Amino acid sequence: MNKTAVLGKKVRLTTEFYMILPAVTILAVITLFPFFYTIWLSLMSYPMIQLSEVKFIGLGNWLKMLRDPNVRTYWWVTIKFACSALAIEVVLGLTVALFLSKLKLFQDLLTTIIIAPVFFAPVLVGLIGKFIYDDSFGIYTYFFHSLGLFTDKSLFGTTATALPILVGLDVWEWTPLIVLIFLAGLKSLPSTPFEAASLDGANEWNMLWRLTFPMLKPVLFVALIIRTMDILRYFDVFLVTTRGGPANSTKIMSIGIYDAAFQAYRMGYAATLTLTMLFLTIILGNLFVKFFLTEKGGA
Amino acid sequence: MRAVIKIIGWVFFVVFLLWTIFPVFWMLSSSLKVEVNMFTIPPKWLFKPSLINFRNLGRDFGIWRYIKNSLVAAGTTTVIALVFGSMAGYGLSRGRKNAAKKQIAFWMITTRMAPVVGVIVPLYMLFKFFGVVGKLPALIIAYTTFNLPFAVWLMKAFFDDLPKEIEDAAMVDGCSKFKAFFVVGLPMVKPGLVAVATLCFMFAWNDYGFAVVFTSGPTQTLPVATARLMTEFGIVWGQAMTLGTILLSPVLVIGILIRKHLVHGLTFGAV
Repeated sequence: MNKTAVLGKKVRLTTEFYMILPAVTILAVITLFPFFYTIWLSLMSYPMIQLSEVKFIGLGNWLKMLRDPNVRTYWWVTIKFACSALAIEVVLGLTVALFLSKLKLFQDLLTTIIIAPVFFAPVLVGLIGKFIYDDSFGIYTYFFHSLGLFTDKSLFGTTATALPILVGLDVWEWTPLIVLIFLAGLKSLPSTPFEAASLDGANEWNMLWRLTFPMLKPVLFVALIIRTMDILRYFDVFLVTTRGGPANSTKIMSIGIYDAAFQAYRMGYAATLTLTMLFLTIILGNLFVKFFLTEKGGA
Repeated sequence: MRAVIKIIGWVFFVVFLLWTIFPVFWMLSSSLKVEVNMFTIPPKWLFKPSLINFRNLGRDFGIWRYIKNSLVAAGTTTVIALVFGSMAGYGLSRGRKNAAKKQIAFWMITTRMAPVVGVIVPLYMLFKFFGVVGKLPALIIAYTTFNLPFAVWLMKAFFDDLPKEIEDAAMVDGCSKFKAFFVVGLPMVKPGLVAVATLCFMFAWNDYGFAVVFTSGPTQTLPVATARLMTEFGIVWGQAMTLGTILLSPVLVIGILIRKHLVHGLTFGAV
């Protein structure tokens, strides 16, 4: 290696450093600093409405959280919501994607039409949900009543139906994204194994279970991570529909934290709960980066 | 047998299609209904369309102010994310791979994935301290916490897919690394830039969680104004659905224009 090449490499490294620096600095100020502040906050009793009472309590909030039965409820609702939404979205999304991938005509057009819900603001999804499931004039309520279902119940006001309806709204908004993900996955499958299998006389059903589904595993993994993260991330729909009610039956973790912070104004406790969610995010992020390292060869 | 499966497939898909687009249709048609036609049970499928809701929103509700706030907040964060994100994305994509770069990439993706409420709590305390709660810059900072890492990560993915040879050739011709990025790299990822800009804008434009905490009165954005219709005055459904239509239309149009990159963007470059 000659001298200029070594020199060239050195110059290149510093240019990249300076290109990354502004973004990293901005993010350090607006995210890293708040993050460490959250950790500090979680060690404080910090009632926002009575600032004279602010004091350091060490692990007090953490111990309180471990004993708090409400926290268990919030997590349980979050898990119920996430698991049912994800399961339905994956099965439905995969089926629709398989159907669309077999189409020769109109595939692009139909795909474009069904992705409309993805562009809805979550708050708007909540609002529309309230509109179509309204007890007196909601159109979906009317459909249900015509079928003789839920005639004596308020859909958002009953513990048995409120969470399933919110799951339905999530499925409505995000199944199209899952369809897109699986459709992209199906299109990128290699054709050789299928040709070989059909030469060996395998039927389509066998190919689906033995070849297509196993080869879609990485795509499924991505879909699950992205959707899990989004479910943990957004709470707009809950905020404008049930706000966690009735009787905490739809109180996901995010709403629990929101209430601790902006209803009870106990910022220290809210920070503690926040950190448990961020911890989950870090695990998800780790899995996602691992996916890039194994599937794409380098993050 | 094949024909039967085919028919079942189509029936299933048509049901799915109707279920998917019905709420969209219902929102649009409700925005064109006068109050009398809105709440009739059984529903009125045919009615005389009216623009009265749009007119009320423009005249009495002062919708332009909310549109302006939304545009300023979403537009500014998009520009910030795009400028610094494309630079950093390029820096991460090129040159030697090392542990620091990997750590930065990991940090970016976890920051983007962080729950909204997890960012709101500490930012609220800090904004309170600096006295900026209720002002638009607070909202722009809040949006940048997720849009900038998103732009960095996705632009890196777009640059990773580019062949490096052209830039190398430019540098052999005496171009500096930064100039190679600006003159050669950036024009080649133009579709990527458009996709990232669109998605950054959409995430901010559609946000409610941050905006409801960090804005007040004159700085409220469109989603907050929309949701406000359902609490303060009872629920003014005609106007709420109209505002919803206005909120949806721009992102629906630009979103469909970039639909080729949509899945790449929404999965952070994984698909």
